[in-house]
Amino acid sequence: MSAEGPERQAALYADGVTAGYGADPVIRGVSVRAEPGEVVSVVGPNGSGKSTLLKALIGVLRVSAGQVRVGDRDVTNLAPEEMARAGVGYVPQVDDVFAPLTVRENLEMGGYLLHHRQLPERIEHVLAVFPRLGTMLRRPAGKLSGGERKMLAMGRVLMLRPAVFLLDEPTANLAPAIARSILDEQVKRLAEHGAAVLIVEQRARAVLAVSDRTYVLGGGELRMEGTPAELANSPAFVLSFLGGHRDQARPGG
Amino acid sequence: MYYLITLLVYGAVDAIACLGLSQQFGVAGVTNFGFIIFQAVGAYVAAVLALPPDTANGGFQIYVGGLNLPFPVPWIGAAVAGALLALPFTFLVGRRLRGDFAAVGLLVTAVLLNLLATNYRQLFNGDAGVSLVPAPLAAQRSMFVTTSNAYQYEFAAGAILLAAVVYLFVRRITESPYGRTLRAMRDNDKVADSLGKNLLSLRTGAMVVGGAIAGLSGGILVSFIGVWSPAAWSYAETIVLFTAVIIGGAGNHRGAVLGAILVPVGFEEITRFITNNNPSLPPNLLPSLQWVAIGLLIVVFLWARPQGVLPERKRVIPPPPTLAQRMLHRVPGQDVSRVRQRTKPPAPGSAAAASEAGSPVRSRRSRYPRPTGDGPEILQAIGVSKDFGGVHAVSGVSISVRRGTLTGLIGPNGAGKSTLLSLLAGTEKVSAGKIIYQGRDITALPAYRRARTGLVRTFQLASEFKRLTVLENLLTADPANRGDSFLGAAAGRRYWLADEARAVDRARALIDSFGLTANANDYAGDLSGGQRRLVEIMRALMSEPDMLLLDEPMAGVHPELARKIGDALRGLCQDGMTILMVEHELAIMDEFCEPVIVMADGGVLAEGTMTELRDRTEVVEAYLVG
Amino acid sequence: MRGKDMSLFVASVGFGLITSAVLAIAALGFTLQFAVTDVLNLAFAAVMTLAGFVAYWVNNAGLSVWLGLVVSMAVGSLVSVLLNYFVYSPFQRRGSAPITLVIVSLGMALIIEFGVAAIVGGVNVSYAMSQGSTLRLGGMTLTTVQLTIIAISLVVMAGVHALLRYTKLGKAMRATAANRTLARNCGIRASRVIAVTWALTGALCGLAGTVFAIDIGSFDPFSTDLFLILILAAVFLGGPGNAYGAMLGALVIGLATEISAGLPFIQADYKYVVAFVALLAMLAVRPTGLLGART
Repeated sequence: MSAEGPERQAALYADGVTAGYGADPVIRGVSVRAEPGEVVSVVGPNGSGKSTLLKALIGVLRVSAGQVRVGDRDVTNLAPEEMARAGVGYVPQVDDVFAPLTVRENLEMGGYLLHHRQLPERIEHVLAVFPRLGTMLRRPAGKLSGGERKMLAMGRVLMLRPAVFLLDEPTANLAPAIARSILDEQVKRLAEHGAAVLIVEQRARAVLAVSDRTYVLGGGELRMEGTPAELANSPAFVLSFLGGHRDQARPGG
Repeated sequence: MYYLITLLVYGAVDAIACLGLSQQFGVAGVTNFGFIIFQAVGAYVAAVLALPPDTANGGFQIYVGGLNLPFPVPWIGAAVAGALLALPFTFLVGRRLRGDFAAVGLLVTAVLLNLLATNYRQLFNGDAGVSLVPAPLAAQRSMFVTTSNAYQYEFAAGAILLAAVVYLFVRRITESPYGRTLRAMRDNDKVADSLGKNLLSLRTGAMVVGGAIAGLSGGILVSFIGVWSPAAWSYAETIVLFTAVIIGGAGNHRGAVLGAILVPVGFEEITRFITNNNPSLPPNLLPSLQWVAIGLLIVVFLWARPQGVLPERKRVIPPPPTLAQRMLHRVPGQDVSRVRQRTKPPAPGSAAAASEAGSPVRSRRSRYPRPTGDGPEILQAIGVSKDFGGVHAVSGVSISVRRGTLTGLIGPNGAGKSTLLSLLAGTEKVSAGKIIYQGRDITALPAYRRARTGLVRTFQLASEFKRLTVLENLLTADPANRGDSFLGAAAGRRYWLADEARAVDRARALIDSFGLTANANDYAGDLSGGQRRLVEIMRALMSEPDMLLLDEPMAGVHPELARKIGDALRGLCQDGMTILMVEHELAIMDEFCEPVIVMADGGVLAEGTMTELRDRTEVVEAYLVG
Repeated sequence: MRGKDMSLFVASVGFGLITSAVLAIAALGFTLQFAVTDVLNLAFAAVMTLAGFVAYWVNNAGLSVWLGLVVSMAVGSLVSVLLNYFVYSPFQRRGSAPITLVIVSLGMALIIEFGVAAIVGGVNVSYAMSQGSTLRLGGMTLTTVQLTIIAISLVVMAGVHALLRYTKLGKAMRATAANRTLARNCGIRASRVIAVTWALTGALCGLAGTVFAIDIGSFDPFSTDLFLILILAAVFLGGPGNAYGAMLGALVIGLATEISAGLPFIQADYKYVVAFVALLAMLAVRPTGLLGART
């Protein structure tokens, strides 16, 4: 295993996860999995529960039913700081950097669990992946542009060399060129080095192009699953974005 | 017996002060940590109005005023002074300052003013304070009379009488539509704002009324004890009053009186009792322990029973009398012929119900003039853009909404739909472009003004008033209730009863047509997510809008319920209302909306029926590309 | 300015520096508590009082007041940690509004301050200590003790700066203050960082209390009441939650207060008015303070 990949490889399993805010669950009985080296995407129309799924997996939201495993270890409802120790890295959609801290300090925070002797080497490696960050190490993260912030957010997670990456709409609000670069280069690279990547995205077409498998979420439930090839040619796939199952004449949840 | 009199007078004074605080804090949600300074200014003003010029009595005091005015002028002056003092502080409570920051500002002001009074001797004789304040009607009776038992009893009776008057007054304000608006502001000020309530004036009113009541209490007190010095009104006294109100029950005026009896008075008595039975205790011990006890009471009550001993009561509006009862006792404001029309309650979701809800029982006359345009387009956006710090959420959007349509607005995430809705509603200001409503340019009009002209919006996130019942939630949105102003509330029940009955009727009709009759008197905060959405929509309908802007009304709603809502909305449009609806659930668009506008990347992509749009590749791509 | 006014002015600057020094220690503690926990801890001055009296009792037992200072720091630290653990955190976990937390902190202030008063009575006490020799510095006359106070304050400021900028804990504190969820995603045990913050700031609180008592000479359980206002003024002037803002605010408020006292047309008792006006003005105009929000 290269020096770039995770310290330990592990797969992520979510079985029948139900979670939400307060009384009514937002997602019900959702099962996904991501193996080492895979890029697995979760797509679906808005309100389908994609972000909720990630937050439930990372321990920010309470899972009321179902199980989450990293490798053999049951990590259901583990606190976020323990999930980080279990080798799961999470890049949220918003509030993804420490705005008042400098770029370097953000990376150092990403490496909080590392021994301080390991820090310089890890930072150097992350800067090799995102050279742009190297030119702004002393700048407060709040002053970065959208694309630079996303790079920093991903770099922060990279410091840990986690086995599993959870990315919540990493291309949101980014210009198409940068979005493409993040998906085609960075995300693919993570998987190439042996991590399991679960990525939630709005830009279904773009993320399908880099995914090994895709789940389609709708109304808080899993609607479809398959390889990009299978899905792209399925009319049901398009419909699930644009109006659910018309033959059932059911307005979705 | 003098002891009993003192108890009664202090009880009355504290009750009055607590009622003022209960009104300010419990009902209006204004946390005034400087409350005691209003009592203090009342006491000082009453004193210097009643005192002779400061050269009298040997000239050992220095103070302003000294007008030697007869009773009841000093007490009236006290109340007025308290009211006026409130005005400069609206800058702390009126703005969107964090509640705890504003409270700290008021606390600091209390300390500051106490310091100034102590040091600036010319004002109120500094640290020593004013003394020899003449008792009321002292000129008419000799000084010896004022110390007689009879006089004392009269004074106590007068104080208690005033307390009763204040209680009735405060209750009259709180139980009116104006009081309901205050409670709504307390629960969720942003939403109250969007319903057209003027937060600044409401909060100023709460400060002024509370200040006047506090001032009056100060005037009574100083007339009784004859002296007033800075030591009597340290900032800690405000804490005592807060403790009383919290323990008694914030928002419940009987609770405020109970708190006044329990805390300021009760404490004094317990202290006196203990001191009398244990003369050997060090003199400072008991007062200190008193304060420790107060601190403990605050923390324990806020933890274990924050609603207080007498919690705020739920305002239950009883169901309407039956037809027979109505015909027997002519309930004011009821048109009997209309009553006949409703002998059979309409089935929920049916067209009849929807049309009933939509063809509103129009209130006498809306308080605000409504523009009526002609022309097929009720609302237009022309070249509208919105930037948030470099991000173009909406760029160069031009749309027009035809009268009487249920128009859908869809698009992938980040397309700018919600932003556009906010721009149309006025919750956000445009960076460029114009918005025309009923032929008038409303671009510069803020949200609450647009609401008053008939353009009303709903919100995506939870925005019901949790501690108001469903009926009350709807009633807050009634735009034409005479009781929804301070003067209207003060005028009393008879003044606004007719408007209120009309509003209740309309509210009930809406609730019935949306199937929530059983929950009409439940707290809105206790309902499920889907039911709360309904409350949101019904509340928007209460103001009888000409055009409704709905922000994801079906989010989190059960499919059958979503269907019902859709039916009801369509019924409304058939009766002439126009609706623009942002939604993600595209099957809803299919069934109910025509036309549908698609947005992507901040601009308009296409327009048509859902069927047509599904066949257009650029629309499909927009959703898949995101 | 005439000669007499000039020397009065310079003397005021001297007093101002000492006040600023004491204020800086207290304001740092207060603002960091707010940064990391989002609670305006109005019981801060009460804990200062408690610490000052602890030092007094140590001093009264025959030991040096400087030893008492160390003990008071430990007491301040312990009391603050307990305060957060048993009172503020439970309320926050319940979702209480910030205004409720402020009322609770006022209640705790009463309990602690009047608890001390109940034990001690109402008398004024002072430490048994020598003020050391006096030194003349450019027109200012300062005693050794006063210079020590200023030195302690500078050490504290440098220490806090070093902690926040260069140590792992300090950066974790800033991260937790900036974005608690994200900090946890990095593996930072936020609740532990918060507890340590209260321990450290509690020590600052204790230090401030004793140093304050040393400075004013004779004190009673209520001497810190007005000082709390100065702390609030310094904190809000610099920006609540911002450590460097607290330092700046302390300097400005400390100097402004004393210099205004030294001006010929202002009576000495009015010197606090400057602080009040500054605080109210900041709240009205720029609640985020001069240096903006959290560090």
